[in-house]
Amino acid sequence: MLEVSGLAAGYGGSDVVKDVDFHIDPGEAVMIIGSNGAGKTTLFRTVIGLLAPSAGEVRFEGEDIAGMPAQRIVRLGISFVPAERHLFPRMTVQENLSLGAYPGRPDPVTMKLVIELFPRLDERRRQRAGTMSGGEQQMLAVGRALMANPRLLVLDEPTTGLAPKLAAEAYEALGVLRERGLTVLVAEQQVPLAMAFTDRGYVLENGRITTEGTSAELAKDPEVRRAYLGVT
Amino acid sequence: MTANILDGIVLGLQFGLLAAGLTLVYGLGGVLNLAYGQMAVVSAMVVVFAMDAGASAFPAVLLGLVAGGLFGLLLDLTILRPVYRLQGEARVLLSLLLTLGVALIVDGFLNWRYPLKALNLFIGGGAIDILGVPMRRGSLLASAITLVTFAALFVFFRFTILGRAVRSVIEDEEGAKLVGIDPHRMLRLILVLSGVLAALVAITRSMAVPVDVQAGFSITVFALIVAVVGGLGSVPGALLAGLILGIVNVFAASYIGTFLSLIILLAAAAVTILIRPAGLLGVKE
Repeated sequence: MLEVSGLAAGYGGSDVVKDVDFHIDPGEAVMIIGSNGAGKTTLFRTVIGLLAPSAGEVRFEGEDIAGMPAQRIVRLGISFVPAERHLFPRMTVQENLSLGAYPGRPDPVTMKLVIELFPRLDERRRQRAGTMSGGEQQMLAVGRALMANPRLLVLDEPTTGLAPKLAAEAYEALGVLRERGLTVLVAEQQVPLAMAFTDRGYVLENGRITTEGTSAELAKDPEVRRAYLGVT
Repeated sequence: MTANILDGIVLGLQFGLLAAGLTLVYGLGGVLNLAYGQMAVVSAMVVVFAMDAGASAFPAVLLGLVAGGLFGLLLDLTILRPVYRLQGEARVLLSLLLTLGVALIVDGFLNWRYPLKALNLFIGGGAIDILGVPMRRGSLLASAITLVTFAALFVFFRFTILGRAVRSVIEDEEGAKLVGIDPHRMLRLILVLSGVLAALVAITRSMAVPVDVQAGFSITVFALIVAVVGGLGSVPGALLAGLILGIVNVFAASYIGTFLSLIILLAAAAVTILIRPAGLLGVKE
């Protein structure tokens, strides 16, 4: 579904991620783990078109999307939930959600799914996004991304700033989406949560993929256990 | 007292309309368009020439509105191209310098070729009593058009998909891209709208006083003051600031003297900015 090969990207002429290869098959959930500053966000921003790559290929369902602007990529079926969420703070929950369906009108079936997933959003329909709690804003960010009916959902650290209970709930919601056939790519620092949720994973260190494998394999890898699971 | 308030509202609506087009372009694209007043004057001159050529007022006015929109589109397609490649402060500064250049060229040309032309759509007839105050028909019509325009803007921004998309770019440009909105296309649309609003400023103003070819810079300056007080990027802010400053201006002129009213207006603007640096309804960066 998504194939990334030889990807390099960065800011101001120096590459933050170098020669990255990874792929996602339809229906899979894949995680990218790595410490702060490893390049996860840069990698995602490049894949979804907010940043132009300096080298390499990104193919989505066979089509080369490297260097395509984000506003076109989202129409092809990839929705991105950034760690900073980038909601429209002075607009209501309802308006944020309906903009997720841009340029069309919100699809009632999708809207129903989002509301079943996050009943909170329905209660807060008329509230301004910027006045909600971090957890609610995260729900809205995911909800808005879903309104575009994506085939691939990319999430950058969806549990940032969430209490452990809310973080677990966020992954429960993602689990429901997976059962409905959505393909998910997630970058995460809360590695145990992501590990339980995903099929496979890649470890990104200093901008390069150093290890890859099924999540079960990675959970047993001594290096991964030491660095990301806090096992000594 | 009532007369001053009503006059203040009439002037305030004019101020609000003046600022709306400028504030939107700035809020959306970080572009400060100092040729804004010239957009208004050029549109006014198109109306004048159309009427000189024998057109009646209504089609001439429509032509003027189209000319304003085309002026905005032309800015987007030509002089603002290098501006779009910059971000932040550099973008504001370059847009300011380039549009100032356009303003000077347009002003110079109009003053050289048509120094005495003016748009005058004066509406005659007796005054109409409002709350016991006789009001000029021209002022009332201009105010009514302005109110309808603000209502239309409100409906556009609040209830249409396109209007919401424009607002989303003002709120969070990156968020807008993530839902599939192209910020450059929204900015182009708003530049056209801003040109139409500038044309409307000149047209409504000319219903009470003639708009001559020299009016450009004073329109820009007033638009800038009102936009800053209202909060750059906020249309409701422009309307609110326009009304407050309009009323302040009329009271200052009536109790202190016309010669000081501009200074008092500026002082009111300065005090607002000191108390609320982002403007009345502006958002803090």
